[in-house]
Amino acid sequence: MNDLGETGLNLLLFSVGEVHFGIDSEQVAGINAFQGEDAGDLFWFHNEMGFGDATVTYLLPTVVTIRCPDEQPYRVIIDLMEDIREIATDSILPFPPLLEPFALRKGMWGVLLVEGKMVLLVDFMRILREKTAVSARHGGDE
Amino acid sequence: MAAIFYIPPEHNRGESMASSDEQLKSELILDELKRRQRAKEIVDVEEEKVKVVIFVCGGNRYAFYGADIREILPSCEISWVPCLPGYLPGLINIRGDIESVIDISHFLGEEASGHKTCLIAMAVKGDFHSGIMIDSIEDVVDIPLSTVKPPLATLNGAVRDLVIGEIEHLGRTIALLDIGKLAGLIAL
Repeated sequence: MNDLGETGLNLLLFSVGEVHFGIDSEQVAGINAFQGEDAGDLFWFHNEMGFGDATVTYLLPTVVTIRCPDEQPYRVIIDLMEDIREIATDSILPFPPLLEPFALRKGMWGVLLVEGKMVLLVDFMRILREKTAVSARHGGDE
Repeated sequence: MAAIFYIPPEHNRGESMASSDEQLKSELILDELKRRQRAKEIVDVEEEKVKVVIFVCGGNRYAFYGADIREILPSCEISWVPCLPGYLPGLINIRGDIESVIDISHFLGEEASGHKTCLIAMAVKGDFHSGIMIDSIEDVVDIPLSTVKPPLATLNGAVRDLVIGEIEHLGRTIALLDIGKLAGLIAL
């Protein structure tokens, strides 16, 4: 909390496919350059977010290790890290009601306007929770 | 000099004076004046009018009730958001507020423009508010409410779910779309 009584959030800002994103830096356990490795716990960000048929080119792929509460390994390849910036939570805008259900399903929970750019805030815990729920549903079907 | 007095004859006096239940000439004139005034007032009462916004989408003309359109935003850049359905192309920034955008061509069976920048009509109806992508604005006109005809029963295609009526404009029949119906379709 800052002097004005506002709650702050430290955001790691990056972009993938010309779309700007921000994640809470508290969720990040480590950042490493992508070495071309392939592992079961490593996911491309655009696949996690459901970019669909959009072609995504990574210019500077970076592996972010997500801090998971149950020590479950979860790493995501992001692109073009731009900044780590503290922002006041008051400046975060919720998604408009029409879009919010779709956005939340993919872990996007808010929008921040930074220098005229729209930054989509992503919560990897939400994504992980959704993935766990989906795999549990599929497991139950079998 | 002798003064001359005119005294009408008895029988004439009865004819010229109105009896108590007979209307006076002034009353007749006044009544007539008021009747004419009332008739004029009826003529002068303006027929109830509604404002409609006529726009182009995919080469065809459609209209919204003007009361449902808060503003028209020219050259609005749409920020794409992953994982949204095709009819929701993304977000727009309106003076620091963010709003959703609907690609109405999806619901009208028209070809999507695919432009990243386009004209946006900001629609507000009850709790529903969103930008709607359109190709261009054709006209904003006040039309008599009585000229809004019910939609043709034979109307088919995707547009049927959105139409609330039909209007005539410059010799063309234009489908009047309902923002409430659009909101309902999206909520489904």
